[in-house]
Amino acid sequence: MAHPDTGVRVDPGSFRDPGNRVFHRDGEVLRGLDERSARDWRALAGSGFFRTLLAAGKLCGTEEVAPTPPWSATLRHERIPFVSHPYEWSFGMLRDAALLHLEILRAALVDGFTTKDGSAYNLQWRGTAPVFIDIGSFQPYRDGEPWAGYRQFCQTLLYPLLLQAHLGVDFQPWLRARVDGLEPDQMRRFFGGARRLLPGVPTHVHLHGAMQQRNARATTSDVRAQLREAGYSRELAAATVRGIEKLVRRLDRRPGESHWSDYQRTCGYSAQDRHAKERFVEEAVAAAGAPAMALDLGANDGRYARIAARHARYVVAVEQDPAVVDALYRALRAEGERRILPLVMDLADPSPGGGWRGVERAGFAARTRADVVLALAVVHHLAIGRNVPLAEVVDQLAGLATPGATLVVEFVHPEDPMARRLLANKPDGLFPDYRREEFERLLAARCRITRRAELPSGTRTLYRAVVNG
Amino acid sequence: MHLAYLDAGSGSLIVQAVVGGVAGAAVAAKLYWRRLVARFRRQPTDQH
Repeated sequence: MAHPDTGVRVDPGSFRDPGNRVFHRDGEVLRGLDERSARDWRALAGSGFFRTLLAAGKLCGTEEVAPTPPWSATLRHERIPFVSHPYEWSFGMLRDAALLHLEILRAALVDGFTTKDGSAYNLQWRGTAPVFIDIGSFQPYRDGEPWAGYRQFCQTLLYPLLLQAHLGVDFQPWLRARVDGLEPDQMRRFFGGARRLLPGVPTHVHLHGAMQQRNARATTSDVRAQLREAGYSRELAAATVRGIEKLVRRLDRRPGESHWSDYQRTCGYSAQDRHAKERFVEEAVAAAGAPAMALDLGANDGRYARIAARHARYVVAVEQDPAVVDALYRALRAEGERRILPLVMDLADPSPGGGWRGVERAGFAARTRADVVLALAVVHHLAIGRNVPLAEVVDQLAGLATPGATLVVEFVHPEDPMARRLLANKPDGLFPDYRREEFERLLAARCRITRRAELPSGTRTLYRAVVNG
Repeated sequence: MHLAYLDAGSGSLIVQAVVGGVAGAAVAAKLYWRRLVARFRRQPTDQH
């Protein structure tokens, strides 16, 4: 959706509210506002809560610039280092994002504002700090009205949290499959019997679903008028938000341990191997010259992501196990590390494009242009564990990088105990190409190999390579 | 009346009154009472 004459590219994920629209020009993130939205913006810009939250970094940096026709006003936003989707977050991340949304709404209500919506997509991350990005969502609060975003908040934030906290069901596949999240009626099926009584379930799930059914024919404008006449007030709206906040704070069950939780201890590295590998990675990232974005694939406990963060401005640490990502997120928060973004994603099944036309929420490959790609102890899981042809694995690694980027990749020889364990699950001779020479040939076809080091154990080789243009 | 771009859901609006504590429940009760009264008032006129 580019307009070649003006260099403006409209953001495909910003069309649902016709009053404002995000677009990109010359690497800048801009938001056009129609007349009403421009009036709301000016009221917002003069309000105390907005300035306070902006200064605290809880809202995405925003300033007004010269208007771009046909819009009445134009805002310039801070650029978020890497756009991620709620189904790529861990439980703790989704919970912290939900709490920030509620905190912002509560502060807005005090100053006479509200948000038009309540979507998880209103939030993004600077490392491990959530940021509210949908500045176009704020509007003056109208007396007697409940929060218009409550349903969306339930569907994209509260229900996924209830699923995980109460039932131990990973929420990510649900959010990935449905851009609008889980419906109350779907949730009611999960929470039958004694589960009906779990915190938040009787009201936000069952009563909510029942009310929706009973009021299916009533229009929202009629119901708004009826609520206003019955005495609904801003104080009540604030009390409701506080109630939801209290509930979300209670939902703090940590995902259980998994096979990958203990991987660093059980993966069979010797101390010598680990030391050599750390040095190799550190030198490679340092030599890349302050890269803007490093991508760590199969990040596990974040050991190498942290090493990369010593030299890279931003690190995206991708790991398939939600429990491991949650532990990493909490550890990074505790350390005060703000430049590493941990994400949940299976490399053999990366995030597809979603929503309208499959472009409203961009897929992982479309969002990713890394200056450094780390693929340590990953290739054998894809090539043997998931049967991905070795050439395809190399293509994918190089494809996530910009031309000239540094690729640091580990090849686990077929004789290595971990590779042998994976091979033992497959018929003999299934992967004749899984050899170091073949891997090296494929890598050399896509990249210029600049360094090669065998780990002391003799069953793993590390490569540093520059991706061809 | 100005409507939000998002369909907030009629049931989703009412349930917020109920979860807003005692005062909220009173608002919801009042809303249902008024609906009930309105229905009885309307019926005789419908029959004429």
